[in-house]
Amino acid sequence: MTSDRIIRETKTLLPAQEAEARPLLQRFDRWWLLFAGVLLMVFLLVTRRPDPYRRIVVFLEDGIRVTLGITVVSFLFILLAGLVGGLGRISKNPLINGIASIYVEVVRGVPLLVQLLFIYYASPIVIRGVGKKLVDVWPAVAELLINIKLNPFVAAVGGLTICYGAYMSEIVRAGIESIPKGQMEAARSLGMSYFQAMRYIILPQAVRVILPPVGNEFVALLKDSSLVSVVAVADMTRRGREFMASTFLALETWMMVALLYLVMTLFFARVVAYIERKMSFAR
Amino acid sequence: MPDNIIEIEHVSKRFGRVVALDDVNLTVKQGEVLVIIGPSGSGKSTLLRCINHLEAVDSGHIVVDGIPLTQAENIDKVRAEVGMVFQLFNLFPHLTALENVTLAQRVVRKRSQEEAERIAHELLAKVGIPEKANAYPAQLSGGQQQRVAIARALAMQPKIMMFDEPTSALDPEMIKEVLDVMLDLAEEGMTMVVVSHEMGFVKAAAHRIAFMCDGHILEEATPEGLLTECKEERTKQFLSEILI
Repeated sequence: MTSDRIIRETKTLLPAQEAEARPLLQRFDRWWLLFAGVLLMVFLLVTRRPDPYRRIVVFLEDGIRVTLGITVVSFLFILLAGLVGGLGRISKNPLINGIASIYVEVVRGVPLLVQLLFIYYASPIVIRGVGKKLVDVWPAVAELLINIKLNPFVAAVGGLTICYGAYMSEIVRAGIESIPKGQMEAARSLGMSYFQAMRYIILPQAVRVILPPVGNEFVALLKDSSLVSVVAVADMTRRGREFMASTFLALETWMMVALLYLVMTLFFARVVAYIERKMSFAR
Repeated sequence: MPDNIIEIEHVSKRFGRVVALDDVNLTVKQGEVLVIIGPSGSGKSTLLRCINHLEAVDSGHIVVDGIPLTQAENIDKVRAEVGMVFQLFNLFPHLTALENVTLAQRVVRKRSQEEAERIAHELLAKVGIPEKANAYPAQLSGGQQQRVAIARALAMQPKIMMFDEPTSALDPEMIKEVLDVMLDLAEEGMTMVVVSHEMGFVKAAAHRIAFMCDGHILEEATPEGLLTECKEERTKQFLSEILI
């Protein structure tokens, strides 16, 4: 009986606990080596060759802040869009399902760069056109639409949200569908409504399933945010281009930009892995 | 008729081209224990799932506790009165045994945390596993999981309990602990609809047995007269197979 219990308890050890139990040395794995290597390289370049590397980093500084800001703000909206889109994709209502499916299929079929260009340059024309049609019907709103000026930051966040929201919808859909049907049936048979069952039973389980792909999306988004430099957002990539244009130091500039992206992506990939481990549970 | 708590009239249900239920008529009285037996694929589970509307019927009427299912404004209200126990338990794996039993009490019955936990502890003691309140389903044996599932259904204080082959996914030595809980319930006068081939339970607790085959209820009998009352050849053949 006792040995039986010990076996069972060993089996249900959470991965997080296993990690705590590992000796300290083993926790410094290859990721640490790589991360330390990249950090060291940035540090050496900046301290040993302050001209031009220190100048580059100083010049890029506000770009780094913009890149991180756009990524984090967009990601919050993307999570929301993914939840709504994912629920829409599994809806039995043909209208909701149809809208969600068209959204996902259209957005996934158009390159992100093209979407950003469309939103920044083309969508104001569409909005103004709608405004002109509304002049007689609803003058107040029409005036607002005609005078619209798209802030680059808003356009960038909007474009990234629309694009990544579609991919996130598919991740959420797959996560929800991976939960056995019996879970929804058990919840409903207890008298819970569809949304109560989603909130308390299905989504908490689905979140654990989709955490790895969601984390990957965050890292991918961080890199793809460099595309917003084409719509007048002064992110790290755009600042790099500006620095190169004034100094003609192409190799130094882009090496430093690449290293700084690498520091950020390596760091966040590790954060994602850490959260994943903390949230896994014995099944 | 107030004493008929479930009334099923001319109910049919098909899945694509497969006819699962074909013009089924059945009534269950308050406090009655009805056991449904029959070969697999005969529509037993589908009938149970129609009673709490996990499946919508194609035609016919089902009235539960005086509420017609087709016109019920809030199907969730009907479901809260009908406890359901599944073959594969369907416990919520991310919640402890205690949380499995308290969750629906809080969000459906709107009980306070303290009250829900008090009721949950009582029920876990009743099904014989008070010490497992803080265990996760993965840490419980099949029999213990099924007993938590029964406690979870009972926590809603249902008027009817339905069991869909509650012991057929269990190891033999765990079947008894689940059947004992079910026998206790039957003795307390709970209205029960049970799909099961556990003849021990049938003899000890059933008031009535319905034999289903190919989507029909072929015939009904009392447990004492199971072998003598049954006239259909198909029933006799089935009984001879499960009563070895």
